[in-house]
Order: sequence, then structure tokens, then C-alpha cells
Amino acid sequence: MQSNSSTIIPDFRLDMIGEPCPYPAVATLEALPQLQPGQILEVISDCPQSINNIPIDAKNHGYEVLEIQQDGPTIRYLIRR
Amino acid sequence: MNWHNFKQQYLVRFWSPVPAVIAAGILSAFYFGITGTFWAVTGEFTRWGGHALRWLGVDVSHWGYFQVIGLQGTPLTRIDGVMILGMFVGCFSAALWANNVKLRLPQHRIRVFQAIVGGIIAGFGARLAMGCNLAAFFTGIPQFSLHAWFFAIATAIGSLAGAKVSLLPIFRIPVQLQKVSSAQPLNQHASRARRHFRIGMLLFIAFVLWAVAKAFDVPKLGYAALFGLVFGLIIERAQVCFTSAFRDLWITGRTQMAKAIIAGMAVGTIGVYSYVQLGMDPKIFWAGPNAVIGGLLFGFGIVLAGGCETGWMYRAVEGQVHFWLVGLGNIIGSTLLALAWDDLAPVLVVNFDKVNLLQALGPQGGLLTTYIMLGVFLALVLYWEKYFFAREARKTLQTI
Repeated sequence: MQSNSSTIIPDFRLDMIGEPCPYPAVATLEALPQLQPGQILEVISDCPQSINNIPIDAKNHGYEVLEIQQDGPTIRYLIRR
Repeated sequence: MNWHNFKQQYLVRFWSPVPAVIAAGILSAFYFGITGTFWAVTGEFTRWGGHALRWLGVDVSHWGYFQVIGLQGTPLTRIDGVMILGMFVGCFSAALWANNVKLRLPQHRIRVFQAIVGGIIAGFGARLAMGCNLAAFFTGIPQFSLHAWFFAIATAIGSLAGAKVSLLPIFRIPVQLQKVSSAQPLNQHASRARRHFRIGMLLFIAFVLWAVAKAFDVPKLGYAALFGLVFGLIIERAQVCFTSAFRDLWITGRTQMAKAIIAGMAVGTIGVYSYVQLGMDPKIFWAGPNAVIGGLLFGFGIVLAGGCETGWMYRAVEGQVHFWLVGLGNIIGSTLLALAWDDLAPVLVVNFDKVNLLQALGPQGGLLTTYIMLGVFLALVLYWEKYFFAREARKTLQTI
């Protein structure tokens, strides 16, 4: 079930509202290496297509996808470096 | 499973793209069997351009391209026309069910430029090759038309160029990584979600009733409308993106969509083969330089625009204004091709053969060759994935 809030506390946020693919995924992969290992990035996107790229790309590039919340037109990804 | 769970699981949450694309491949074979044509959209977009020109007073009756694709009737009396209408209704219903319709305005001027220019290049290239990601690729390869293979390979190369260009600094909007101490609340309007769901259901049911009634009156149109509806549901719910299948091989090394599309074509191929064995004629087009040039332009254009001819359809009804512009660009581009056709066709197109692999190599040889080529495509994708991540790993080691 999707809930409106998350118990996971992110350290950084990437706000990609309004940006079409592939830019949300590209920015996510560029942002993650800037975090310290163990820190959590929150990516906010209203590009529905990002559901098929951000989680898989993050995993393929060695990061851990903690949570995906699809809530209306906005999607939140919580990813740990 | 109760209604609430069913709704959340299938009508609100996104579908997994791999089974969805395979389902589209199966359905597209049945679509061919029932309507006698293949699942395609850009030919009809070009006819819209023709109607628009006629409405503006331009006489297009002597344009060769419209003689090739036909400009009789209206979208409501053509198989492609009602199928596309069905796709739009399917996409829109699916987006409404999930409360995924929101006006999303382009945030930057450069994106507007990308959408229109990319859309025009892709529309022009697609029609030069006599098809887009569907007719010259996803449903073209299962028709055993050699031109689709030329187009597919050229599209992959064009998309590589498109990927390089669309990551140039001019197209990159700097994004700030914000330090935060809590997650951003997502604002979901429960009342809006309920209202949109109801509108989506009403629209969906109304269209099904219309299409079923149509099927008793003009069977092919009714069936085409229903198939379009399901194609629309599939591409929106699963966010099927042919552009990303090509582009993201190069940008992030992701291969899921490419593999899904190869699997979808593999199941479509045997379906179409069975109908051809029963005596139907596959749709074959000229395997000339037009398919190669068209593919290069198309691959470049879809990546610059961010979506192809099916991609813009569902994104447009989700309220992504960017993709209204891509769609407009597609129609302009395909109409420009129709304008230039009579000069281009003798040199690039009509003096080359329409090669049907089932005739050129025999039914068994053509089928086997198609599957071997699909296997080669899959092997290349798997090899590229390995190579890409091995290269990434080396890069990471160097920076440590």
C-alpha cells in the first residue's frame, strides 16, 4: 500500500518536477556519488516514465532503492548510496 | 481479491513493462489477423496533416504520398483512425484511474525547442521509412519486411547520436541537491483522485459501448477501436517507451525495455506467420536508402524530443505539455515528408524492391532468419550491458 508519508528520513533531495525523461534518471545518477555512503537521497519526479528507469538504473549502478511511493502524479524515490 | 485491492493493484499502480510489451506483441498479431493491417500510427498522423492542409485550402490530391497511404474518408471511417481514437481513450482512462492527469508545463525554453524540433525530425524520418517504432519496427519486423530491419539498425545508431546531443551542456538544466532533514510531503487530493477515477471509468465504459455497437455495424472498425483501447491501456499503465529502449542503452546501460520489445516481437512474429500461412498478405515496404536515412533521423529525433510517436500519445493525455509539442512536431514533420515525397521517392524509395523475407528466403527460411536476427539483437543487447557496466566499474576504480 502507498502511504502519504515515509518513515525514512532522507539526507538530500533532488526536485525534478517538470523535467521529462531521461533527465530525472541522469540527474539521479549524477547526484548519488556526491553523497556519503549510507546517506539517503530523495528524488521527486512527476515524469511517470521515471518509474521504469530511476529504480532500475539506481540498482544497476550499485545503489539501494529503499522505497517508491506513487501518489497521484508525483513519484518519490528513496535511494541509499 | 476485493475491489479496493484490485483497483490499487491493476488500475492505479503501474504495470510491469515486460509482460505488458509481450501482451502488446500478441495482440498486435491478432489485430493483423482481424483488421488485415498492422498496428501503426504515423500514417494516420500524416493523413491528419493532409486534412489540415485541405482545410486551409491546399489541394493535396496530386501529392504522391497521399496516393500511397490514401486520404479517403475521415479518421472515424478508417481502421487506423478509430484505432488511434481508441488508444487515446485507453491512455486517458488509464491515466485518470491512477490520478495521473496533471498539467505539467515545460520548465525551460530549451525543452520547448527540443520537443518541437525533435518531433519534426522524428515525424519526417518515420514517414520517409514508411513507419515509426511500430510499422517499421515493433510490428514491421514481424511482418517479415526487410525495410524494418534496416530501420531498426539505423534507429539504434541515430539514437546514439541523439543521446550524445541531448546530454550536451546546453540541454542540461543545473539541478541543486538540497540538504534536507525530512521527506517532502506528497500532496494527494483524495477527492480529486476519486473524481478522476469516476470520469475515467465513464469514458472507458462509454467507449467500449460505442466500439461494440460499431463492431455490429462495421466489424473491422469496431474491433480496431477495441484493440486501440487495449493498446492505449497497456502503453500508459506500463509506461511503454520505445525511445528509452534505444536511448537508455547508451545513457545508463539499462536494457529492460529493449529486451521486452525483442520478446514482444518474437511472439508477434509467429502470430503473423500463422496468418500469412493461411493466405493473408503481409505489409511489405521498400527496403531502400529511405529506411536507413529515415531510421537515422527517427532515432535522433525521438531521443532529442524525449518520446516517439506512441510515447507522446499517452504523455500528452497525462497533461505533459512537452508532449503536445512533440505530437505537433510529428504531424508537421510527417506532412513535410509528404510535401517532399515526389522529389525524394524516385531517388531514395520506389526504385528499390519491397523485400518480403518469406518470399525471398521461403516461408521456413524467412521465419528462421527473423528469429536468428532477433536472437542476434538480444545477444548484442546482453553484450552491451556487460560491456557498459564493466566500463563503469573501471571508471569508478580510476576515481578512487
